[in-house]
Amino acid sequence: MSMQIATSLDEVLAALAAGARPIAGGTDLVVGHRQGKAPLPESLVAIDRVPELAEIADGDPLRIGATVTHARLMTDQVVVDRLTAIADAAALVGSPSTRNVGTLGGNVMNGSPAMDTGAPLVVLGAEAELASADGIRTVGLDDLWTGPGRTSATAGELCTALVIPARPASSGSAYVRLEYRRAMEIAVVGAAASVTLDGDAVASVRVALTAVAPTIIEIDGLEGLTGRAIDDDLLAAVAEAASEQASPISDLRASDRYRRHTIGVMARRAVDAAARRAAGESISVPVNRALGIGAAA
Amino acid sequence: MTVTELPPFVRADGPDKVSGSGRYTADLTLTGMLHAAFRYPDVAHGRITRIDTSAAEAMPGVLAVMTDADVPDVHYTWAVADRTLFARDIVRFEGEVIAAVAAISPEIAKAAAAAIEVDIEPLPVVNDIEEALAEGAPLVHEDWASHTADDGIIRDGNLAIYSALQRGDADAAMASAATVVSSRYVADASHAAPIEPRAIVAQWEGEKVTIWTSTQVPYDARDGVCETLQLPASQVRIIVPHLGGGFGGKCGFHFEAHIAALARKAKRPVKLVFSRWEEFVAPDRRREGMIVELTTGLDADGRIVARKGWVGIDNGAYMADCAFFPQLAAMHVAGPYNIDHLSIDAKLAYTNHQPSGSVRAPTAPQGCWALESHTDELAAAAGLSPVEFRRRNLVDTGTTGPMGQTFDEIGALRVLEAAHAAAEGSGPLAENEALGLAVGWWPSFAVPAGAYAKMHGDGSVQLITGAQECGTGAVMTLRYLAAEELGIDVEKIQLVYQDTGAAPFGPGATGSQTLLNHGRAVETATRDIAEQLRELAAEQLEAAPGDIVLADGVASVAGTPTASIAIDELAGIAAGGNLLISSGTADVPEYPTLEGSHCVGDQGMAAWLAPQFSCHVAKVRVDRDTGVTRVLDVFAAHDNGTILNPIGAHGQVEGGILMGVGQALTEGTQYGDDGTQLNAGLLEYKLQTIADAPNIHTTFIEIPTANAGPKGSKGLAEAPNVATAAAIANGIAQVVGAHVTQLPMTAERVWDTANGTADQNGASA
Amino acid sequence: MSELVNLEVNGTTYPVQIALDRNLSGVLRDEVGLTGTKEGCDDCECGACMVLLDGQPINSCSYLAAQAQGRSITTVEGLAEGDELHPLQRNILATGGVQCGFCTPGMLMSAQALLDRNPDPTDEEIRIGLSGNLCRCTGYARILAAVQATAVELNSTSSS
Repeated sequence: MSMQIATSLDEVLAALAAGARPIAGGTDLVVGHRQGKAPLPESLVAIDRVPELAEIADGDPLRIGATVTHARLMTDQVVVDRLTAIADAAALVGSPSTRNVGTLGGNVMNGSPAMDTGAPLVVLGAEAELASADGIRTVGLDDLWTGPGRTSATAGELCTALVIPARPASSGSAYVRLEYRRAMEIAVVGAAASVTLDGDAVASVRVALTAVAPTIIEIDGLEGLTGRAIDDDLLAAVAEAASEQASPISDLRASDRYRRHTIGVMARRAVDAAARRAAGESISVPVNRALGIGAAA
Repeated sequence: MTVTELPPFVRADGPDKVSGSGRYTADLTLTGMLHAAFRYPDVAHGRITRIDTSAAEAMPGVLAVMTDADVPDVHYTWAVADRTLFARDIVRFEGEVIAAVAAISPEIAKAAAAAIEVDIEPLPVVNDIEEALAEGAPLVHEDWASHTADDGIIRDGNLAIYSALQRGDADAAMASAATVVSSRYVADASHAAPIEPRAIVAQWEGEKVTIWTSTQVPYDARDGVCETLQLPASQVRIIVPHLGGGFGGKCGFHFEAHIAALARKAKRPVKLVFSRWEEFVAPDRRREGMIVELTTGLDADGRIVARKGWVGIDNGAYMADCAFFPQLAAMHVAGPYNIDHLSIDAKLAYTNHQPSGSVRAPTAPQGCWALESHTDELAAAAGLSPVEFRRRNLVDTGTTGPMGQTFDEIGALRVLEAAHAAAEGSGPLAENEALGLAVGWWPSFAVPAGAYAKMHGDGSVQLITGAQECGTGAVMTLRYLAAEELGIDVEKIQLVYQDTGAAPFGPGATGSQTLLNHGRAVETATRDIAEQLRELAAEQLEAAPGDIVLADGVASVAGTPTASIAIDELAGIAAGGNLLISSGTADVPEYPTLEGSHCVGDQGMAAWLAPQFSCHVAKVRVDRDTGVTRVLDVFAAHDNGTILNPIGAHGQVEGGILMGVGQALTEGTQYGDDGTQLNAGLLEYKLQTIADAPNIHTTFIEIPTANAGPKGSKGLAEAPNVATAAAIANGIAQVVGAHVTQLPMTAERVWDTANGTADQNGASA
Repeated sequence: MSELVNLEVNGTTYPVQIALDRNLSGVLRDEVGLTGTKEGCDDCECGACMVLLDGQPINSCSYLAAQAQGRSITTVEGLAEGDELHPLQRNILATGGVQCGFCTPGMLMSAQALLDRNPDPTDEEIRIGLSGNLCRCTGYARILAAVQATAVELNSTSSS
């Protein structure tokens, strides 16, 4: 086995072309290895000391480097102000130490439907930037995630950044998840919302759901809400759409029945918080803790 | 009182623990040491048709492989000897050890264990208490009748142990009741889950073996090794390094004999360190799942006239130390109430689950949760508040309780009023918040224990005790008892403990009895030294021994403080002649008698010595849309007799309560249809974090108790774990309008209860 | 296949010959010889293995030792100044925040990291900052009090 500690992107891409696998924080890889689920790759290239992968660049589009950690996402002012749902999600991941080593790129390329940062990226219209020795391409997240734990990226490709269009004025976003304790949790269900307001009316609303389908899914058919005020009826419609479009499973964390109900609750709370942020209200990150227990309203 | 205002009590083992220099078992390394790994079945019940260890034995780096064929033919454990060290023919739970390997690295040992070829023909899985006790159920032990059992044990097939409590005529009294309420509650199994996974190191020198192990009860571990490997007690020494928590999960004898046998075969020291998964599935100490059905009749004033009930307990596949559980569980569902007509049946059932065993206050948190939920239902039926109903029915000084024991001075009503008042005074409740109240009780266990004491020539003292420190700090308090008897500074006293090669017998860290029993032994031993010092001082000072006072490091003549001599000086004199050495034992106090009641299958659990009482009031907030519940505050009042170590006592209450919060909300073992645990890890079996922990407000009602521990103390470590889940249950019921009938009261179960859909989540199971 | 890896632990450089798939906690315990770092779960769920890497807390059970080359590692053995306990160590003893002690080293490392980045934390910030460290003994009240007391102590020292 070999490990190369890279300090530039060119080094990383050359190593990948030669068959190495990237390691950033390494939590998933090391835990998987130690629990006997998957052996470590024969050749690793550490990407956590490559400066260009760790940048957050303001602009249009915004660009978040793949090795930016959850700890940085939850406190970086650009992310907190403009991409708040990502900060909400990052602040809920695991514990301070796992947030410290876990990266956005690692999360995205893991392809889990339970990843917390996935739904926020979807509602914010993010695309993944993939680089290889052959060049760079960007790919929509719905094309990237092909199933639980699977992506369309090839072995020589590295996710270098998430690219996100700038938000119009009067926009807000939020991520809310159901949790049974206040830390060290994994999403039972979760929902992200992005809302842009035109006065009191909805100019656009997007909602994506965590852990209720084989991949993160975006709710269809919310265009009909455009022009309406954010009120109980609208929130009920969002909840109903979320519950209907979810295809949850029953497992040790919850029954499908309970997931189908609570995904509606989470979607409603996410839209409510996103709209309040769009209207200028300050709700601190993460929404879960700002608003109370287990995403209680 | 805030924690910083408490009187100081700094643990003698504290500096080692905070600096990282303290050694726990897994931290030990011996020259030539090998690493052990166990082979487990992949099923919960099956017949072994073939074991082939040849591939494992041939692996480079493997020095020993063992199965049932390599150890003496011994069936063991308490009360019913139903178990062998290694599985023989049949595997009965997923964590049963089929084979063990010793190799030069943990990785090779694991690989070799996996390389052992084991063919198992699956057998029907007994996965549930009622299924186990049903007519025609598959037997967990086909050969149960051939197992040696203690006298007086009542058993039959999957009914591992039967006990019953009877008093008066429950049927006739029930027929006369003004109000009758029936309830059924079902508690899932749960786990002790100490943060230290267990570890063992064994090393032979000639015919003698030394075993360093993370047990709470060194003498039990020694006896288990002696019994299963057929060794004399003099050849087995158990040493416990620092112990990383136990909570009952590390009581007794576990895998010490497996590792000792491996070390003997490999002719090298061998070390075992459990993974977290193993810690969940393999030890025979799991908190038992339980079914409780109760029917209680009230008179027109809301007083209990009769109670009938049934308790089913999941023993798991083998008998660990559960023989007394049915009777103890029956006492908990009878409860600390005055009941003249009582009939409770209790059945311990074999299943294909991990064996149950003494986890912190065994049977009590579940029994109390069921009983106190039922009690709030009774209060509602009687039109009384929860606190008023309990005022009318609780035991107190001079009453006779459910089984005819007349209580000496106890604080049952006082803890009720104290916790209630503290909670009521805590301010207004917000929407979806409520205060839930519950009362719990727990006995003190008096058993024999010994201590040695010696004063060295420089005046320093060594106490040698069979006590075991599992984290509570109770062992540390022994020094203070000795210092007071001897009139010297506590810093002069050093403890030698948790080493069977040095100490007299002691029951270890089990049953909340470290101070109760070891404390009395230490008092006796040091009182003897004090007598010797007085006689020596009397000679030196030309006074009568009875007039000598030992205080502040000085022996002086009462009334003549100028006539004195330093205790250090006396020690120096003694060092040249009659050495200051002594031993002491704790005589077992007389247990109370029962009047007018009858115990079937008696295990000595119905008459309670120095009973401890607690009342917890939990302030809960429930998210009605999701059922997620948070416990914001717990107001606790405890009668544990005299409190000797306030910081330690508060720490026990706080830790016990948080464990209770976990049991209430997030800690439950889930079993698949195949009888294996689905959540055997700390992500899916959720302990409470510091972010979840409620603020805990504790009051001790100190009643110096006769016929109990030193200075009128009772036990303490288990009692705080009894009433918390029940208090939370009663709070949740107030918010959602009905009691959750399953424990833990997970978010989904609370949501289902609030919506009247509990029947869809398997609550009838 | 093993390689020579240099690890800087508590200010001392340790050359260790290790297989590259070894986790940091195992190497610290078995090769460097510092057993204060504990292992309780192997998958980042208990926090007993917490150490600081360049001042930030990580679960050393799930971090490759080889990846820590060129970074500075602090373990519980590195907290005290010689024989003098760090205020966190002293205060957690004084408040009664130590029982079995198995979670204590990891808890102290998380607390140290928290106070380094936030010298005056609120109760809620302490709770979140230590939320990756499970304790089964104490109910956490006295651990919380120890961190509070240490923050007060360090702030009064630094402002005087």
